[in-house]
Amino acid sequence: MISFLILMSIVVCFSAILALALNFQWGQGGMVNFGLTGFYALGAYAAALLMLKAGANTFFAALGAMAVVGVVCGLVALITLRVTEEDYFAIVTLGVGEMLRLLALNEDWLTKGALGLAGIPRPFGDSIAPDQYQYFLLGLSLALLFGTYAFLRLVTRSPFGRLVRAVREDDVVAATLGKNVLWARVRIFAIGGAIIGLAGSMHSIYYQYIDPTQFTNIVIAYAFMAVIAGGRGAHLGTILGAGVVMVLLEGSRFLKDAIPRLDSDQLSAIRIIIIGVGLIALLIWKPKGFFQEYRLKA
Amino acid sequence: MQKNRRHVIKSIGAAAASAIGAPYLNLAHAQGASIPIGVALPMTGNAGAYGPDMAEAAKRTAAKINAAGGVLGRKLELFIEDSESSAAVAANLSQKFINVHKAQALVGYWGTPEGMSSRPIAIQNKTVLMVSSAANAITEGDTQGYVWRFQMKATDWGIVISRATIDKLGFKSVGVMGLQNAFVLPIMKVFEEKMKAAGRTVVDSLIYNPEQPSYRAEVERVFGKKPDAVFCFGLLPDFVSIMKEVYRGGFDSKVVALSIMADAEGKFVQAVGPQVAEGIRHFQPMPDLAAPGYKRFLQLMGAPADRVYLFPPNTHDQLAIAALAMEKAKSPVAADWHKEIIAVGNGPGPQVDDIAEALKLVKAGKPVNFQGAGSTCDFTPNGDQIGRGMGQWIIKGGKSVFVEYAKP
Repeated sequence: MISFLILMSIVVCFSAILALALNFQWGQGGMVNFGLTGFYALGAYAAALLMLKAGANTFFAALGAMAVVGVVCGLVALITLRVTEEDYFAIVTLGVGEMLRLLALNEDWLTKGALGLAGIPRPFGDSIAPDQYQYFLLGLSLALLFGTYAFLRLVTRSPFGRLVRAVREDDVVAATLGKNVLWARVRIFAIGGAIIGLAGSMHSIYYQYIDPTQFTNIVIAYAFMAVIAGGRGAHLGTILGAGVVMVLLEGSRFLKDAIPRLDSDQLSAIRIIIIGVGLIALLIWKPKGFFQEYRLKA
Repeated sequence: MQKNRRHVIKSIGAAAASAIGAPYLNLAHAQGASIPIGVALPMTGNAGAYGPDMAEAAKRTAAKINAAGGVLGRKLELFIEDSESSAAVAANLSQKFINVHKAQALVGYWGTPEGMSSRPIAIQNKTVLMVSSAANAITEGDTQGYVWRFQMKATDWGIVISRATIDKLGFKSVGVMGLQNAFVLPIMKVFEEKMKAAGRTVVDSLIYNPEQPSYRAEVERVFGKKPDAVFCFGLLPDFVSIMKEVYRGGFDSKVVALSIMADAEGKFVQAVGPQVAEGIRHFQPMPDLAAPGYKRFLQLMGAPADRVYLFPPNTHDQLAIAALAMEKAKSPVAADWHKEIIAVGNGPGPQVDDIAEALKLVKAGKPVNFQGAGSTCDFTPNGDQIGRGMGQWIIKGGKSVFVEYAKP
């Protein structure tokens, strides 16, 4: 049981990092990213290919994946410079995300298409004993989660963090005050993209096998749930939100063990209902989420 | 505010603790005298139609084994979960089966993504993984004897379909449409190679993406070349869209597909109506309906004699082979009993198709060659199943009429 909790905690860590990226892009920057799944897949595939085809070690593969997703996200923000409305930008990201997912599915020569990439190596996989490895991976994941949180906290409290929120609240006011809104948007989306790349790398390292079926739009739903439940714009809340979503998702599987009369097909049907009802109850009870975003106090 | 926040965190903590702690309530039950087995089946997702019957087969098979005295004097305890037809969910389930329930056998695993994502987990944890998926890659490479396929390998599907086409169906020109999917591509490759080698014309070969709102462009491209027949390899949702386009376009080419597309427990005809479905031929690996093992399985399921189950017999065979191998190795530990899988599946020994009888022989120290419900349960050393055949049907008046059964 302890091993399972450790492994699920690792999943919570990279889900939380993904949710933090969305929180930065959408929660703080107001840039809705409905292409999250595609960018997440890009990060996972970039890291896996750098390891499998270019022989890079995990560290450089993750850095490479962060750079690739960061640049692609930056470019998306750049080419949509005239799309400042939240809704239209969301449609563009949805299209780009779907395009990335289809590339992963169809470019067999690079991604092995529907078969996916197997045998993705893990950092220090040979030097750490198999029964100890999960502890190492949990420690690494927690360190990366904490590092991402600390970085975003620093950004939020910096002058750039204020610009990020100003662009979200009213980009015309920000531009009137002499701020370069386009460049700010490019940076917001690229920074978020790099963090998505990190989460994607962790996904491929954890599962050691990636294929296009792992990157469906349910990933977007879970990330948005985490941000909304945590409180839009609040980093700590987002981490908590990602944890709650994962507890609801994986914890609800144990209902069958606790209530033996519950059938597996009945459970699979009511699990999603339980998750939905849980989130609705949470939003009724706490409509602004667990925490509120950081505000500079006068 | 501060108080309120603490209250929220406390409540969430309590909810998390109760969800996570729930299995401990049952832990003695899970790890006591029983032998835990993880069963991952598609209850939802694109293969959701198949999970419930496979779950029922697993329960009835385990009950039969337990009624016959169990394995090593212990009862089998199944942990059946929904794989959601997803690779990531299946991987998380495998971790749960191994780490929470201490399962030494992972059975079910209908699709290739589920099998591929759980393969490294099974090998690393020295746990036997038994899949129903077809893609060749599942058993390729070094599996250390922990990965076993209870299904015909994808390339063999192509061999049987092309042989039936060349020898009996007489199509001179064919078009091929295949879903971008790991088990489809090897079927297409072999099928096209065999057709060309036999001097038949492949007018077009097209790979399409899943979940498109329409397949009009793809249908017009392939059917527009007017081949004698178009072979479609994919899954139910895409085939329903394809056939609606074919009917709307008024194309004359015959259509040949897989049964998971053109039958799918009757869901295809329900979706498109008998008029659109009329005349479609479909192939699928299946049990030998005349085999005594299959007839016995129908009795176990309480099903009528003409009922065709495609996948539940595989689940039955997975549990039966696991039970026999454990009994033969005198150990429920996978690192011991995985070495006995070929011995109980391939023989030598008398052919026995009843799991209770086979267990009795193994308990008495006698050899046995188990004949399953889905196949003869013979394996190659790398874990591929041999001895499973393929059925062919044609849809007439909204019903699938059986044509023939053939082995690769």
